[in-house]
Amino acid sequence: MGKNILVIDDATAIRQVVELTLRDSGYEVVQAADGRDGLAKLDGQGIDLIICDVNMPVMNGIEFLSAVKNDEAYSSYKYTPIIMLTTESGDDMKAKGKELGARAWLIKPFKPDQLIEAVGKLII
Amino acid sequence: MQQYNENLKKKVSEEIRQYVSFRIGNEMFGIEVMKVQEVLGQVELTAVPGTMPFMKGVIDLRGVIVPVIDLRLKFKALEKQFDRDSVIIIAEIKGILAGFIVDSVSDVISLSESEVQRTPHFSTEVETDSVEGIAKYNDKIIIILEVDRIFRAGEIEQMIQGNR
Amino acid sequence: MASGKHFDNREAINTFFIEGRDILENMESDLITLEKGEMDDEILNSIFRCAHTIKGTAGMFGFEEIESFTHIMESLLDDVRKKEILINSEMISLLLQCKDFMGAMLDFFQNNESTLMSDEMSGTGIMLRERLMQYFEKGNEYGDTGKVTNQSWHISLRFHENVFKVGLDPQSFISYLNKIGKIVNIVSVKDSLPSFSEYIPADCYLGFEIKFLADTTKEKIQDVFEYVQDDCSIRIIPPQSTIDDFVKLIQELPEENFKIGDMLTKIGTLTETELNQALKLQKSSVAEDLEKSDIKPLGQIIMESNMVPRQIIEAALQKQESIRKNSEKVHTIRVDANKLDILINLIGELVITSSNVSQLSEKTRSNELIESVSEMTRLIENIRDSTMNVRMVQIGETFRKYERIIRDLSKETGKEINLEMHGGETELDKTLVEKIADPLTHLIRNAIDHGIGKPDERAAMGKSRAGNLKLNAFHETGGIVIEVIDDGNGLDREKILNKAVEKGLVSAAHQLSETEIFQFIFEPGFSTAEKITNISGRGVGMDVVRNNIELLRGTVILKSEKGAGTTVRIHLPLTLAIIDGFLIQLGSDFYVIPLDMVVECIEVEKADIKGKEAGNFINMRGEVLPFMRLREFFNLTYEPVRENIVVVEYAQKKAGLIVDKPHGEFQTVVKPFGRLFKSLKWVSGSTILGNGQVALILDIPKLIHELQGMEIFLNS
Repeated sequence: MGKNILVIDDATAIRQVVELTLRDSGYEVVQAADGRDGLAKLDGQGIDLIICDVNMPVMNGIEFLSAVKNDEAYSSYKYTPIIMLTTESGDDMKAKGKELGARAWLIKPFKPDQLIEAVGKLII
Repeated sequence: MQQYNENLKKKVSEEIRQYVSFRIGNEMFGIEVMKVQEVLGQVELTAVPGTMPFMKGVIDLRGVIVPVIDLRLKFKALEKQFDRDSVIIIAEIKGILAGFIVDSVSDVISLSESEVQRTPHFSTEVETDSVEGIAKYNDKIIIILEVDRIFRAGEIEQMIQGNR
Repeated sequence: MASGKHFDNREAINTFFIEGRDILENMESDLITLEKGEMDDEILNSIFRCAHTIKGTAGMFGFEEIESFTHIMESLLDDVRKKEILINSEMISLLLQCKDFMGAMLDFFQNNESTLMSDEMSGTGIMLRERLMQYFEKGNEYGDTGKVTNQSWHISLRFHENVFKVGLDPQSFISYLNKIGKIVNIVSVKDSLPSFSEYIPADCYLGFEIKFLADTTKEKIQDVFEYVQDDCSIRIIPPQSTIDDFVKLIQELPEENFKIGDMLTKIGTLTETELNQALKLQKSSVAEDLEKSDIKPLGQIIMESNMVPRQIIEAALQKQESIRKNSEKVHTIRVDANKLDILINLIGELVITSSNVSQLSEKTRSNELIESVSEMTRLIENIRDSTMNVRMVQIGETFRKYERIIRDLSKETGKEINLEMHGGETELDKTLVEKIADPLTHLIRNAIDHGIGKPDERAAMGKSRAGNLKLNAFHETGGIVIEVIDDGNGLDREKILNKAVEKGLVSAAHQLSETEIFQFIFEPGFSTAEKITNISGRGVGMDVVRNNIELLRGTVILKSEKGAGTTVRIHLPLTLAIIDGFLIQLGSDFYVIPLDMVVECIEVEKADIKGKEAGNFINMRGEVLPFMRLREFFNLTYEPVRENIVVVEYAQKKAGLIVDKPHGEFQTVVKPFGRLFKSLKWVSGSTILGNGQVALILDIPKLIHELQGMEIFLNS
């Protein structure tokens, strides 16, 4: 049974390359273009892991993280592992994300192998 | 014709060079299979005003409008009405997809490199610069044409655009 | 970059290029909004995000040149949004240039396999980088004293190899630090670690970079390391030191400069901006003197950006907010235009097949079959209409591109331009939008170059100093109208008429309406501009503008009043993909005439027009029309049984076309001709009939033009 991974990033190209990488390793992928879109995609789908960019329009990754961890509406995803995608310049965001319960960080640019390794470690 | 096209595809993969042989007037010609996209039987041509006499019209090839040129005129053979044997060879020449009317198509034939005799000064009605060589096949002489050289640079465009 | 990947990420890379250009367009439009004085945190954030996204994505695909360049922009924009550096119009100009350069890099890397740019591009890149870096040095509101913001000490330790041998444990000194303060962050430096074969376990190869928070003195920290000071290189930098101190530190330490810099930012001693400054300073101490002359004092920069009154900002904020709310509602997906074209092509074929099926079903006289086929036909038509709708895009996106052109032009010409745009939400076919962009650019350039005068000239004429340029778009009778309106000098009727007579386009005696006179502007080589500028006035252009518009089955009309301004009105069909046509037959060939150009169709007695060659006239109920026999004009050799005259009209000119047989109205999908057929004279496109035969679409404007040309010839 394939595991479902939600990939949230405002850059379509990043979503595509992440999806390709994950599919290549046998995961199923759902894409979302920003945090709000991501929350909508959580509804009713069995998501096993979330990969989320930090800096996005409409709803950023930190706001998304906070909603997933604290909002009752998403309580079934409270313990779903979340990998945050960031660039090195996002240090303050990183601390905030850790506080909110992000399990892992991937710094862009990352290699497909690094992504697969991170996902492999977190997915149950 | 369907079977014919399948034949084309099947034979492409083999090692020896393969040629589509066709007839214009009394001469047999061959062009490399790789250059031929398909061969069409009778189709309704639509004449395009303002083009040169070689340009017989256009056809719809699965949504693509393709110009059709009468090779018989180009090779100074007498123009004749489209008859039951006439076919259109669809090929790409200098990056342009076009159809060429010939009297009939015989078969796809296989020739090894050595069977094709290079003849730079071969004399026929065909302008010699488009002749790659000649070969004998079943006791018949076949003139092997270099597709990209049948027309001079810009000649096809010129035919379509006319001289106005 | 990707090692061990098994999939093909070319599609993703392609997406990166397409999306990158979109992002750059947003960035440009945001920057221009900023320049107008609409200062807003969300706009600053949005610009930052543009750079951030491109940097991150470029990195993922290994486009290091793009990544590193955009990184500097991102850093600057980050400081700008954090209000550490103030943005001014000079910086906006630079950022716009950087945006252009990023676009050029996208183009370059999309079209070249190479990972190295041409020398020229590299040169531009270096120049822009240097100019961006200047803002870190001089434009920092807080850091203008050259001091870093960090409140902690920085301690840099490099233990000597023999430290273990003399019986000292580096760990203990570091632990001791915690007694006089707090180690905020620490990284170990293992760069001097040799290869395994040379590694001596008894030797120490370690170094440490420590961020240390303490209310203490340099001496006290030095005291901690008193016992080890002979066996360790110690460097201590107090809080809020100058960038220069760090530059010295970076240079003195044995490791690579970037690595040290990286550690300093990682443990939080330096911000990234400060690091960049430091690295830059350390690189360009020679170049510094040269650059100094270009740098504005900080005060001036603050002045510039503070000039915007508060009310304007608030109004702008509200406006931005409402725009954003609207745009958020629209959910979009990105589709390759080619995929869409293929779909539309297929649907076109489906429509054709369905009309065939419908005819066949009627022959069966089975009511059930006829009914369900007609239901199917209706559904297919719905599908076609919805698919066509997918191709519709708002013209506003194109309009916004002109903001930049107008901005650049007004700087170049010293003219002030107020741009007004209306009807940006008007939708039209994507292909049309793309193809109308160039003609529109030309018209706008003309309006600014020839129409609108310099501020002083305008003031002398009693006009506002700033010229007004309006772009309008709206729907009108099955088409769309785009207007370019300026309140400039207007067209000089007499001058144009004289020029036309001089060029032999018309005889002086001819009575012409104003509209007809203005149309001469569109003749090839017709320019009344007295001086040639690099913007327009080279005599090429307006004819190209008209040709391009006519290729889109559109028309262009000029209205103008001398001294008051010019209106250029472009009328375009909604889509190029569908045409309401009138099907006619010539011999065995079928042709389509665009229905909106057909006035009437009447059967004519052969005797009425017998012997009359093309260029002659026929009397149609008292109206004298020029006419031509298409059969003769196209050199077709056959004798028709019957003849009909189709009266066509285009741009207020009528003509008669003699055909064999009319087949009536016919809505169909247009098959565009490839480049091969581009210069075909009498045919503008083609379509496929129910039986699979190709029918050509006649180029009526050209045919009428040809007939009119014959008319002028006969008159002279």
